[in-house]
Amino acid sequence: MSRAPNPWIKAEQKSGFNAARLSLFLAGAGIACGVIQAGAAARLLAALLRVQPAGLTAWGSALVFVLAVLARAWLQIQAERRNFELGAAARRRLRGKVLSVLMALGPAGLRGRHSAELAATAVDRVEVMDGFHARWVPATGLAIIGPGLVGLVALLTDWRAGLILVIAGLFVPFAMAVAGIGAGIAAKKQFLAMTRLQVRFMDRIRGISTIVLAGRAEGEAKALAAAAKELRERTMRVLRMAFLSSTALDLAAAAALVLIVIRFAPVLRGAHELAPTALFLVLLVPEFFAPLRGFAAVYGDRMAVEAVAEEFQALPDDPPAVPPVHIRSVAAHGVTLAFEHVTFAWDETRPVLENLSFKVGRGEMLLLTGASGTGKSTIIDLILGFLAPQAGRISINGAMLEDLVPAARTRMLGWIGQKPVIFAGTIEENIRFANPAAGEDELQDAIRNAHLEELIASLPQGLKTPLGEGGFGVSGGQAQRIAIARAFLKDAPLLLLDEPTSHLDPAVEQDILESLKHLAAGRTVVLATHSSQAMDFAKTIGAKRIDLDALRYASWRGVVA
Amino acid sequence: MSPIARIALLWARQPGWLFLAVLLSLAALAAGVVLMGFSGHVLALAIVGGVLAVPVMLAWIGTARVALRYGERVVGHEAIFRALADLRVWMFRGMARSAAGGLGLRRSGDALARLVNDVDTLDGLFLRIFVPLLGAILLLPMLVWTLEREHGLALLVLVPFCFVAFWVPWRAARAAEENAAKAGLAMAGLRIAALDALHGLREVKIYAAEGRMLAEVQAREAQLLAAQRELTAEGTKLSAIAFIAAQGGILLAILLGFLGLPIGAVAAVLVLTAAFEAVLGLPRAGLLYGQARKAAARVVQAAEAGPPVPEPAVPAAMPSRNAITFEHVSFRYAADRPFVFENLSLQLPEGSRTAILGPSGAGKSTIASLILKLVQPVSGQIRFGGTDIAQLSAEALRHRIAYLGQTTHLFADTVRNNLLLGDPAADDAKLWAALEAVQMADVVAALPEGLDSWLGEGGATVSGGQGRRLALARTLLMNAPVILLDEPCAGLDAATEQEFFRVFNAATEGRTVLLILHRLTGAEYLDRIWRFTGGTLVAAAG
Repeated sequence: MSRAPNPWIKAEQKSGFNAARLSLFLAGAGIACGVIQAGAAARLLAALLRVQPAGLTAWGSALVFVLAVLARAWLQIQAERRNFELGAAARRRLRGKVLSVLMALGPAGLRGRHSAELAATAVDRVEVMDGFHARWVPATGLAIIGPGLVGLVALLTDWRAGLILVIAGLFVPFAMAVAGIGAGIAAKKQFLAMTRLQVRFMDRIRGISTIVLAGRAEGEAKALAAAAKELRERTMRVLRMAFLSSTALDLAAAAALVLIVIRFAPVLRGAHELAPTALFLVLLVPEFFAPLRGFAAVYGDRMAVEAVAEEFQALPDDPPAVPPVHIRSVAAHGVTLAFEHVTFAWDETRPVLENLSFKVGRGEMLLLTGASGTGKSTIIDLILGFLAPQAGRISINGAMLEDLVPAARTRMLGWIGQKPVIFAGTIEENIRFANPAAGEDELQDAIRNAHLEELIASLPQGLKTPLGEGGFGVSGGQAQRIAIARAFLKDAPLLLLDEPTSHLDPAVEQDILESLKHLAAGRTVVLATHSSQAMDFAKTIGAKRIDLDALRYASWRGVVA
Repeated sequence: MSPIARIALLWARQPGWLFLAVLLSLAALAAGVVLMGFSGHVLALAIVGGVLAVPVMLAWIGTARVALRYGERVVGHEAIFRALADLRVWMFRGMARSAAGGLGLRRSGDALARLVNDVDTLDGLFLRIFVPLLGAILLLPMLVWTLEREHGLALLVLVPFCFVAFWVPWRAARAAEENAAKAGLAMAGLRIAALDALHGLREVKIYAAEGRMLAEVQAREAQLLAAQRELTAEGTKLSAIAFIAAQGGILLAILLGFLGLPIGAVAAVLVLTAAFEAVLGLPRAGLLYGQARKAAARVVQAAEAGPPVPEPAVPAAMPSRNAITFEHVSFRYAADRPFVFENLSLQLPEGSRTAILGPSGAGKSTIASLILKLVQPVSGQIRFGGTDIAQLSAEALRHRIAYLGQTTHLFADTVRNNLLLGDPAADDAKLWAALEAVQMADVVAALPEGLDSWLGEGGATVSGGQGRRLALARTLLMNAPVILLDEPCAGLDAATEQEFFRVFNAATEGRTVLLILHRLTGAEYLDRIWRFTGGTLVAAAG
């Protein structure tokens, strides 16, 4: 196999073979049973041909035959079950890793990537790895163990016939290499060609409404047919060569059989004691080549991995959890938030915040205003810890944000954004998402405070109404109420509101702001908004205001250093 | 007609190749069996000291078998590649005709992906199921002839043979069919859980729910694995039973040799070895068949659903004006389902910019489907430029209305080919002008091969927002007076969405615009805003 393997695949391969040891042992034992079975069959046949005395020996051989068959069937079941578990374990491991890494990267780390695309890696690409671990790895191991074991037995039984078998076996990879069309290369080309057609077809079907609405259906159908034809012609050119390697296998198997028969046919006359040996070796031929055929059959599973490996390799390793210098926790109630000379830029050409300082005392509200793109959401993401400043300090009750234990920091933060995500699950589960351990009283309080009672009462299944994918669709205002209920249930001392009403129409907005006022009481609040109603609301509470437009303007003029 | 038969009928378009493939396959199988039988015969004769047959014959049969196997592979693949192309083109045409709206707008990409997987499953039907089954049938007379020469009773071996070749695969097919629904459901659950965890990542982080979400995904995964484990266990058990039956048959043939012709017995044993080897794969084929049956049903249903809205026999001439009006329109998806809306009236004057807002699932997208003639009203009329659209040809109507929705797709193809879908006759200057309008000209110019850069898998990757702007450029190239947008930025973050609408506002000045949205981002430039709730449109502040 003449390709430079991708390091990720190499690592998977190594762990795969390590995990497959027991399963390979079982399958190897199964082949050993096959050898014993062939031996018993040979003795029986010899007895049948009256060259060995029938009677007890024959019955003994029949018994050995039966036992070997039963043992082999049992071993087969065990090996296959283990192979399934190998694939299952690999999928569990990879899926866990992919999701952990993606979740650790967080919303800022995954900016601009479509959640459906990421989910495809976690679901479908991981499924592809099943074929690799559950089929390719065991079949590959067995393709070495099986012929090795059978060849050894053959050599020990009759070295000439054994040699024929071993040479025929070695001829298979040799023939592939000499022909210059290693099974790997040819199969890879075939597989890639097939994959390309499948990808094209999948792509056109996914976009079928786009094609139809653009009035291009017939043109695309013709293009698809032409692509399939071109692909067939190209693939068949490759395959006509590639199949020569399978033919090498057939040729080796047929030649081994014929040569063994020729080796024994002349000497058997008058040498009856050789009869069982001859029959035994003939019966070993299929046993010898079966694992090689099995190996050829799983090549697609190996090739499929090439297509997904890139995606897995592109995933960063778990981002190193920077050990906090001095782990601190702060009093959970009454929080003071401070920014000191904080600077943040997406890159050199896109500075967002420069040298920003402010302080929000316990129970106070800070209003952030300014046009989109001036950094309101950036400030919120910095406080949430999704982004890290290039310079400056962000502190809560005097403790640097990055020095806090993540769990403690999370516990202090409440957040409501523009579009709360509603998960697949009941309303109750969606609210309890904030705190699954909350008691019934707390849940009811949160529902009442978020003014959700009316909605819940109107639903036939009440709290148990399923939401999200395939469930009841809630409106923007209802979704926001669920977010507010979550925030009540979490009861965090620092509340971050990121444009909480920007998607709502004014009547609903006023209503939501009322609920938010109730939520804000006694908490330290940062409210980012450009809605005039929300600004008025902040003023009635007596919020401090930072206008990021003015700030930017000021920094241009050099007023703020 | 059963769906499998419907798919098999498609094969009839390649009769020559498929016939040759079957013929070569059967000949190769026969040669293999004869080779084994003949080897046994020669050996047995040699052992009992009989006449020595000419081993040259053996070499000939061996060579023939190798050559036939090669021919079988080449012809079989040629045949299957042809059949596979036919199947895909048939499926594409059928879906394009029947269900563009149903599949493209309502069903998720996931359902489409499953359909494509179903088509892949059907590829195995011919080579992996049909041909081996024919082989098993062919083996029957060969076995009868061989076994009869040994001893009349040896015909009993046909019982385990038929058991392995026919009964076990049938059982496997049934087990797979029963399992398919369970596994499909578990897979859908897993997908939803993974999507939830990633789509709701902000909430997940803030509520420290990483562990819980991971546990949820793992619970769904465990359900999937359980369903698969069940099928594997069943398949493994059936394979083991088939193996035991096969070996039992061989042992029976050996033992009966003591009653009959010993030389015939040796030949029979080797023939049986080859014959059973050929059919021991059939239980697995049975599993595949069980899955293929379900797949075929879905594929045939999707491809043959028929056009959703009948075309007028004689379409009216396209009106010159482009205003759209709904007059007392009522709609429901089926007679037994509740109305999505009743008696809905709406005016979209030429040049106006309107938004319809409403929760997902309320049926706003139905308005788009109605305008595009993907569904038709139960009562009431929709007029385009004053003419009832029922009298207009769907294609002519769609040339006036450029649609961009969340399902609007960027193809894994060059930037150029993606744009040309909007206007196949556009020259480079026109393409660049469209890219300029959506502020993508710089981005595309910076790609290694400019307009000919490959997008998507294996090519240049554009960000989600840039992708939507490319789709918008294509929509603009259609040069339609009406632009219809349905949640064009679903799945993207709010900042990207706002950016998109800022570009959109400038690029669509002067056209009639209808936006169908969940919620406003604040960046849209609009004349009127309607809120769609409870099946009625309510004016919202604008």
